[in-house]
Amino acid sequence: MSAESASAIHRNQVDLSDFIDWSGVECLNQSAAHSLPNALKQGYREDDGLLLESDADEQLLIYIPFTQVVKLYALVVKGPEEEGPKTVKLFSNREHMGFSNVNDFPPSDTAVLSEDNLKGKPVVLKYVKFQNVRSLTIFIEDNQSGSDITKVQKIVLHGTTVETTDMKGLKKVEDH
Amino acid sequence: MVLEATMICIDNSEWMRNGDYSPSRFQAQADAVNLICGAKTQSNPENTVGVLTMAGKGVRVLVTPTSDLGKILACMHGLEIGGEMNLAAGIQVAQLALKHRQNKKQQQRIIVFAGSPIKHDKKLLEMIGRKLKKNSVALDIVDFGEEDEGKPEKLEALLAAVNNNDTSHIVHVPPSPNALSDVLISTPIFTGDGEGGSGYAAAAAAAAAVSGFDLGVDPSLDPELALALRVSMEEERARQEAAAKKAAEEAAKPEKGGEQQPSSQDATMTEGASGSASEADNKKDDLMDDENALLQQALAMSMDDTTSGHDVRDTDMSEAATDDPDLALALQLSVQEGDKDSSGQTDMSKLLADQSFVSSIIASLPGVDPNDPSVKDLLASMQNQSQQKKDEDKGPNEEEKQ
Repeated sequence: MSAESASAIHRNQVDLSDFIDWSGVECLNQSAAHSLPNALKQGYREDDGLLLESDADEQLLIYIPFTQVVKLYALVVKGPEEEGPKTVKLFSNREHMGFSNVNDFPPSDTAVLSEDNLKGKPVVLKYVKFQNVRSLTIFIEDNQSGSDITKVQKIVLHGTTVETTDMKGLKKVEDH
Repeated sequence: MVLEATMICIDNSEWMRNGDYSPSRFQAQADAVNLICGAKTQSNPENTVGVLTMAGKGVRVLVTPTSDLGKILACMHGLEIGGEMNLAAGIQVAQLALKHRQNKKQQQRIIVFAGSPIKHDKKLLEMIGRKLKKNSVALDIVDFGEEDEGKPEKLEALLAAVNNNDTSHIVHVPPSPNALSDVLISTPIFTGDGEGGSGYAAAAAAAAAVSGFDLGVDPSLDPELALALRVSMEEERARQEAAAKKAAEEAAKPEKGGEQQPSSQDATMTEGASGSASEADNKKDDLMDDENALLQQALAMSMDDTTSGHDVRDTDMSEAATDDPDLALALQLSVQEGDKDSSGQTDMSKLLADQSFVSSIIASLPGVDPNDPSVKDLLASMQNQSQQKKDEDKGPNEEEKQ
């Protein structure tokens, strides 16, 4: 699996979790006991037992601001076969989104996840649409089985930061 | 220390003019809002509170969520009462205001003061509730004021749709001499979910409203005692609520049964009271107004109680009349006469018709001259009255008793 993802993702692409502005991260309709950090934070997300679960119905709305401008290349969403997410819509630079206005804007990209995707195969996005991303909104519209609860084990964002395209910035990140 | 953004929805409909919560429903509500704002902003420096009104021309946001307590308090002045409350719109506007909060880390909470009847369907409220839940908004409801049919159920349904891990609460506050804000102090709406330590919240309460804390204990010095007091207050409040509910149910029951009862008892009481009323009039002409008011009250009480049966009526009446022995005597007389047999009313009227008896009573009263012309006139007119009344009240089957 790791070999597969490594081959699918270009060498220059890095895991963007280091550039997430955690103080601004928001997830709507998450269950209080199974919250977003379980799926998004390094360490927690590697554990398949720690899940992000939806609460009132199957939809989830995740807002992720970044500390700097990034380019988004690919997305990994891992989940169980039954309750894993199916239709995922991505919006770049849309703040203050809610379930009520999620259909008011055209998504930057829409992905329908397959079984392979749920096991960890990255979904390559329309790269040109995500060249200048300050914040990303992930809207999980439904899940594979149509049940009331959606479960997500892992969310990984691959891309590059605009600054780290030059080598100086890249070194600075590696120092951490 | 919950980091929270709160929107408070105020009910400023016409129903808020009622004075059953001192000094008025609206003022009581304003006090409670001030108290909650103080507590919220002090429990965490980054907490923000906003205020909107649900009635009037439409839902109006007075302050968007801010941590500036002065701004919040200032907006509460000069609010106009008018129109009807639109709960659904109010909650949705509040949710919109919370959605655009600056600090996304803040939990969202809406506090609704619902003092007027709710015209919306239960279904609509539940739908709004689910929407709030989906958007991770907690909802606190203060149910006070109007107690029309179905209001508590609607609010409970709304709360049930929102509630997630017991973060939302509802408080029913029946009218009582205690200020609305004092009642709220002991509730989870005010103290939060108890995460920050109740003593802390109580201290905030004391700071926010200097006279607000009436337990006589400084909660910052002895948080355990404060907690114990708060718990007992909560229990007492729950007990009172239950008692009020029970009383309301009991009052509803006999009313239905009582309506079918024959009206002969009512007639007895009317005559008895008119007799005693005229005696009282004779006795104290100068105090007539006060006396009349008292009598009216006693009469009303006894009339009410006839519906719930003899025993209750008798005891109630004696209680009502303890501070006026003459009145007690008169009432007792009328009741006893009424109880002796079914023709009690005739006896009573006869008794009153007997001028010598009445004048002997009047003569025995201190400070009343039976020969006074005004008293004589009154007696004469009273006799006529009772005669007329007797004729009216009598059924044809009782004619032989006249």
